[in-house]
Amino acid sequence: MELTRRDFLKASAAAAAFAAAGAQALAPRLASAADDKGIKWGKAPCRYCGVGCCVLVGVKDGKIVATKGDPAGPVNKGLNCIKGYFLSKALYGKDRLTHPLIRKGNKMVKASWDEALNLIASKYKEAIARSGPDSVAIYGSGQWTVFEGYTAVKLFKGGIGTNNVEPNARLCMASAVVGFMNTFGSDEPMGCYDDLDLGDTYILWGANMAEAHPVLFSRLIDNKLKNKKVKIIDIATRRTRTTQMADEYIPMVPQGDLAALNAIAHVILRDKLYDESFVKQHVSFKRGTENQPYGLKDKENPKEEPKPLTFDEYKQLMKQFTPEWAEKLSGIPAKKIEHLAQLYTDKSRKVNSLWTMGVNQHVRGVWVNNLIYNLHLLTGKICKPGENPLSLTGQPSACGTAREVGTFAHRLPADMVVMNEAHRKKTAEIWGIDPRKISPKVGLHTMEMFRAIDRGELKCLWIQCTNPFQSIPNLSRYRKAAQARKAFIVVSDIYPTRSTEVADVILPSASWVEKEGVFGNTERRTQHWFKMIEPPGEAKEDTWQLIELAKRLGHGNLFPYSQKNFHKEMWEEYRKFTIGTGKDLAPYETYYKVRGLRWPVKSNGQETRWRYTDADDAYVKKGEGVKFYKAPGNKATIWFRPYEPPAESPNSEYPFWYCTGRLLEHWHTATMTGRVPELKRAMPGATLEMHPEDAARLGIKNRDKVKVSSRRGSVVLIAEINGRGKPEKGNVFTTFFDETKLINDLCIDAFDPLSKEPDFKKCAVKVEKA
Amino acid sequence: MDSDTTNTGISRRLFLKGSILTPLTLALGGAAISAVYLRPTQARGFYLRPPGAIEEPRFLAACVKCGKCAQACPYQSIVMAGGEAGVGIGTPHIIPRETPCYLCPDLPCVKACPSGALDKQLTEVEKVRMGTAVIIDREGCLSIRGLRCEVCYRQCPLIDKAITIENRHNTRTGEHTIMEPVIHKDKCVGCGICEKVCVREKPVIAVQQRVTEQKDFYEF
Amino acid sequence: MNFKRWGIARCTVQLLMIALLASPLAGLAIFRGNLAAAELLGLPLADPLAFLQALLGGRVFVLSYLLSAMLVVGFYVLLGGRTFCGWVCPVGLITELADRLRKRLGTGTQTLPLTLNRWSLALVLLVVMVTGVPLFELFSPIGIISRAIVFAALVPLLLVAAILLVELLVARRVWCRSLCPLGGFYSLLAAASPLRIGFISERCTHCNDCLKACPVEEVLYPSLELNHPQVAAGDCIRCMACLDTCPTKALKISIGYQPLSRDATDPLKGGR
Repeated sequence: MELTRRDFLKASAAAAAFAAAGAQALAPRLASAADDKGIKWGKAPCRYCGVGCCVLVGVKDGKIVATKGDPAGPVNKGLNCIKGYFLSKALYGKDRLTHPLIRKGNKMVKASWDEALNLIASKYKEAIARSGPDSVAIYGSGQWTVFEGYTAVKLFKGGIGTNNVEPNARLCMASAVVGFMNTFGSDEPMGCYDDLDLGDTYILWGANMAEAHPVLFSRLIDNKLKNKKVKIIDIATRRTRTTQMADEYIPMVPQGDLAALNAIAHVILRDKLYDESFVKQHVSFKRGTENQPYGLKDKENPKEEPKPLTFDEYKQLMKQFTPEWAEKLSGIPAKKIEHLAQLYTDKSRKVNSLWTMGVNQHVRGVWVNNLIYNLHLLTGKICKPGENPLSLTGQPSACGTAREVGTFAHRLPADMVVMNEAHRKKTAEIWGIDPRKISPKVGLHTMEMFRAIDRGELKCLWIQCTNPFQSIPNLSRYRKAAQARKAFIVVSDIYPTRSTEVADVILPSASWVEKEGVFGNTERRTQHWFKMIEPPGEAKEDTWQLIELAKRLGHGNLFPYSQKNFHKEMWEEYRKFTIGTGKDLAPYETYYKVRGLRWPVKSNGQETRWRYTDADDAYVKKGEGVKFYKAPGNKATIWFRPYEPPAESPNSEYPFWYCTGRLLEHWHTATMTGRVPELKRAMPGATLEMHPEDAARLGIKNRDKVKVSSRRGSVVLIAEINGRGKPEKGNVFTTFFDETKLINDLCIDAFDPLSKEPDFKKCAVKVEKA
Repeated sequence: MDSDTTNTGISRRLFLKGSILTPLTLALGGAAISAVYLRPTQARGFYLRPPGAIEEPRFLAACVKCGKCAQACPYQSIVMAGGEAGVGIGTPHIIPRETPCYLCPDLPCVKACPSGALDKQLTEVEKVRMGTAVIIDREGCLSIRGLRCEVCYRQCPLIDKAITIENRHNTRTGEHTIMEPVIHKDKCVGCGICEKVCVREKPVIAVQQRVTEQKDFYEF
Repeated sequence: MNFKRWGIARCTVQLLMIALLASPLAGLAIFRGNLAAAELLGLPLADPLAFLQALLGGRVFVLSYLLSAMLVVGFYVLLGGRTFCGWVCPVGLITELADRLRKRLGTGTQTLPLTLNRWSLALVLLVVMVTGVPLFELFSPIGIISRAIVFAALVPLLLVAAILLVELLVARRVWCRSLCPLGGFYSLLAAASPLRIGFISERCTHCNDCLKACPVEEVLYPSLELNHPQVAAGDCIRCMACLDTCPTKALKISIGYQPLSRDATDPLKGGR
């Protein structure tokens, strides 16, 4: 339905009130003014999670001496989590990489940039000459700046002519991306963080917001404190700190989300609780391809062949998904499912769904994304302030870089794809190259990239700003392949990691404020920062490293930017992709002073908080109400997606579900936070969370050493019982930050056939006392 | 004169020798004793004793300073006090900021104590009463300042029992929650894990001497 | 034969004791604790004086502690009481070594009476009963040395250094002879011990080598003077130095309780 005037005014009033009252007391400091201690402060987004808090960085004598939350940052208003509080320390670990290193036998020997780059170029040239451009690849990151991602995409897709460009965001947000694309025709949420302040019902699907999105959770809970109506429902396979502050906890059997979501929709249809006119105006129905493989065999290439459905056909198909049926598959009582359906359809409630990895790292993750949207589309609770499905992003720039710049094997910037001729043409125009240079063949997705190394088909891989040899599933297959030197591997990073240890060349990178950069967070907020300090030793920005390779491969002409205005010129070129697409970015200088702007940025420089609605999105004319202008026929798609089982379920030999995740104290593989002594002391090592009854049955007590094994690998961990997380019976949980415990070795490298995102949350293990 | 070296006689020479050396040696010995024993008490104000320790005055006598509890501790949390402990020299204690007590469910330290200085009647880890954690610097506590910390809470072995989180509205930002860790004296065992993990340079939460439970009425 | 077999055996046992104390540092699990309370291969052992201090001062009673103390008491009753001092105690070893140095320097020839250690025992027990302060456990050089070995607690060694200094320069072996309350305790047990030094007066040539070798000559002298068949003194540490030294094998190990002499005026008449 339409955004009510009241809602919109309320939202705008709140924003204005803050701007007026707050602005006085919280006046942003200008980057150039030094304070009385001689410290110069500059703004930047936080280097860690997808919340994208705004921070201020204090520099003195060429060193960072302080960081603080930026009071003028609308996301966090001066607050941080402890990772952000100690941000700057992460750059000053003792073993910071400062020189290029080249492998000679078992040793890494110091080398000059020229030596290293010449070697890399020669290896790439050789591979391209011998086996074609698809025998080389680059694996980047949702922690890349926009410039780094854009350079990689331009070099590989526009220069070398291969689509083998992948980000680690393939392992975190790919399912969400495909869900957005096949539902709305455009990536990224239609809502924003304001929905956390304005709504009253929040249904969390497998998302531990308390630890994964700390400041956002603080904002959500404040809404609850101010408004008695607010309900937070935590649907999960494990009790967490989020559960502790939620109103309701609904335990679920892994993979049960597929059943539960379908059953909720079933109830909505059964009791005719859907918004008939909304559905008629804004929704079309499709059925996808079922019984797709699980990615367990190399080189699988499933295709989605959608079939259109009518609303009645859809209703007919949904009849089978009763709450009783769902109870069997999800463990959620039928009554609870009815209750959830009640909440979703309660006309007095502004319902939001929130999710991250529990839904995305899932062998049917795209389906779960679709099913969540189905509920909001059926009820019309979408594109309104305080009422939206909000896909939470994991990394600081999975949105801004990986998704918006298109650093995927099938993508080009601004939601375009390599398979589409018109898209290739537009890209080539902006890049000033022959469109035939861009390959129409989709490149290797992440898991296939590493498998191709194992098969000897991928000869060269450059890894930047990520740590796959600690984080990808079924780790030993891929580590062994790398250690057997099956491919030439280059790793650009800031510290020695489990990935640099298998590299042929290690390159020292500049980190965060050691280079100019732009990130984009969960709510489409693009944030800019200036370079504030020099990187240590000979470390260089990844962009520079890539352009040096480009020059040596004869593609230096793709990067004609001046030294002085390098980033600005690149930005203005990249920006061209976004104009008129509904993802419009602002001119570069706009971002210097503001604490980010949410795109699409309107012609008057204003940001857009809610997309697809005439109340805020300039692409929707007044009176059109809600318009999914990127979707075919301006209609969002409701997909029919049934239940399909996980790739591997517990049995008598491997009786436990194995789930992996993260926690507040450390970021991902802790290459940065592990070097902050305070954070290391707070959380020194990974533990295995178990249910007390399971532990008692196995004779395991708190802090005992336990060995957990899957069909693929095993690891010894310290058992944690009745700690911060309490898995349901038959489940165990651990975190992947500990570089001495390669827990992802146990994970199965099964992935969603549409998004190719692996399922880190479900496989079968056994546990015994070590 | 004969220099007689029987038990009772001393020669004049020896006496003279002794009258210089004896005072000297006594002085040295006295200095050693004072330097070692007569020092100010520990900054914490008390020694954090191992689980099951009886009340301090009796503990000081009951403890035979054998060190078996320290040897039984798998984490080497228990250390033996030196001379700065005065009468407590050689007694076991725990320095949480270095290594806290990790509450082994089978209480090996209590089992190892021969004399009963660690009360053998203690069998459950939740009944341990070594001390009580207290937030000693609210201004320094990041959680109380509104940041997302609460590491002490998440690492507490008795999470949601000994430490809980109390939420309140952050009036400065108007949009966030202050999640304050609150310690409950009747449940806190005093293990000191919170003190160890506190991310501030000087921990803002520390284990202090146990206070008898607060009653909710005034008894007189 | 000058081969000091007992001396070597004794030194070996003393060093073994120190090795046992230090064994947990090498990761071994055969020994735990120190001389106040220990566990040897699972068998609990306890210092009876430490037990008494804990019981009287701390008012704690643990049956296993009593039993382990009684085990030790029984052991030393059988083996002579101050055998502990001669064979087990690390302070005994250290003061012995210092005494050798003292002999070379020729200093510290004063002595205090042996019986003083009974008084220091009484003082310790009185103080702990009245004040609850375990006087001996605080100052015990036995505990200090043990803790220095096991826990590297080195500062309290100053006290041991002070004692050694006094023993070197002023009064020889004053700690073990006259001040150690534990020595006093064991010396009281020794009266009941059947393990004694036997004296065959017919073989004695009065060379006095044994008296020179004995660290506590008040132990040996009277028995030899009066031709007693056994040395029954409580302060005999069973070091067997006299046995080793005697050129005519006039001294031997004698097990059993023999009457001392028929001399009615003999103040050392047995059973006193």
